[in-house]
Amino acid sequence: MRIVIDTERCTGHARCVVVAPSLFTDDERGYGCVIGDGTVTDETLQEARGAVNACPERAISIIEG
Amino acid sequence: MPAVEHEALDPHRHSPSTRASVHTVYHVTAMSEALKAHSKGISQMGQSTTSFRMADVPMAADRTAGWAFFREHGDVFESNGTYFLVSADAVQFAHRHPEIFTSGPAFESLGSPVPLVPLAIDPPDHLRFRKVLDPMLAPRVINTMEDELRAQVRELIQAFAGRGECDIVTDLARLYPTQVFLTLFGMPLADRDMFIGWVEALVEQSTAESGREPTAEVVETAMALFGYLQRFIERKRAEPGADLLSKILAVRGEDAWTDEQILGLCFLFTLAGLDTVTATIGFVMMHLAKNPEVRQRLVDDPAMVGPTIEEILRLELPAPYTPRVTSQEVEVAGVVIPAGSMVQLCLGTANRDPRRYERPNEIGAELGDRGHLSFGGGIHRCLGSHLARRELRLVVEEFHRVIPDYEIAPGVEPEIVWPSGTHHLISLPLRFTPAEVKA
Repeated sequence: MRIVIDTERCTGHARCVVVAPSLFTDDERGYGCVIGDGTVTDETLQEARGAVNACPERAISIIEG
Repeated sequence: MPAVEHEALDPHRHSPSTRASVHTVYHVTAMSEALKAHSKGISQMGQSTTSFRMADVPMAADRTAGWAFFREHGDVFESNGTYFLVSADAVQFAHRHPEIFTSGPAFESLGSPVPLVPLAIDPPDHLRFRKVLDPMLAPRVINTMEDELRAQVRELIQAFAGRGECDIVTDLARLYPTQVFLTLFGMPLADRDMFIGWVEALVEQSTAESGREPTAEVVETAMALFGYLQRFIERKRAEPGADLLSKILAVRGEDAWTDEQILGLCFLFTLAGLDTVTATIGFVMMHLAKNPEVRQRLVDDPAMVGPTIEEILRLELPAPYTPRVTSQEVEVAGVVIPAGSMVQLCLGTANRDPRRYERPNEIGAELGDRGHLSFGGGIHRCLGSHLARRELRLVVEEFHRVIPDYEIAPGVEPEIVWPSGTHHLISLPLRFTPAEVKA
């Protein structure tokens, strides 16, 4: 599983960075960015789901592969 | 002296424009038009049209009842030419289509003397401004201010902690956001009370009965604020620092900002970024006072502070409507909205949409950050959201460190000013065991 941001929808609320710090970091503009390839492990699954819920733009999803 | 200063300081030449700008910056101009229409109670036939007087909406004491009243009229409804987008999907659709739901005309039609950058700027120019502004208010920048901002809120709380009572609005909420603004801009904290005086005079005008002409005093107040900001810009131009304004002034070439744009930004920051945080501090503390079990959970577990604030923000937002004007005909939730229509995005109802949230009217902090639109959405997402959230967290952390247990003064039922385009408490008196304060 991987976590991805739809950059067309993202407008920089950066909630993902707060809710899922293992998976996201913020760039200079304050926008959330996926760390590495966004692989979600058993340990980070809860954070990943939290980020999906917290995103006001509904821009984050967990995909297979 | 540059031309803009003459214009800004000449009340005779610019008073009509200033009058308009006083309304505009509170996001309420379009709302006040809608309020006027509704107070006339004009009836219209048809499934998606309705009519009710804003004064009849049961919002003052209980937003749950107020927003339920709105929702009864459908996901999208029209009243006297204004279209209300009520459901989360409808609001989100508008956020994702700024080319259809334009911001400029919703504010521009009022003839503000300065462009309200970046709120009233549409694509493609909007992105140019935000690319400069976003990094200046990014979380990593706010991090560098945190210690200073924490020390300031601590000092404000210590001033009343030993008394055993306080009014959150007057003793904390109306002071802190202005201090933060002055800190951010590198302005002297000594100007705080003068600033608050100006802003409150303008707020009073904006929340007054719609259609009331601003007094000469209000126009004078707006002029005083303009003059202060203009003089400050001049000073920063002469002696640049490491602050936000100096960075904007340093932008050269094609992307350089005009004097009017810089003044518009400062004016917008002052009037959209202060009263909104003031209102929200009041709401957060009110809900924590009313819900001792929610409060106890965040006192026991600091990790609950964030989700609790987010949930209260979801339920109780200071600027619950965003005005837009359609650039073309568009169908939303089965309702056809003609080109050129005034539209209100109802963030307050979207935040409680039962199709999106389980137990939508409760503080569900144990469910985590559930995502909300209190800072708007789409390209105009509140530029100051990271700073506002930091202020709220610091207030909650520092207040509860000193005063973990408190209640609303007996006999007081806090109400918001209603009808109004923005929501805020006038007063929130609390009682608590006096805390020991170091001299």
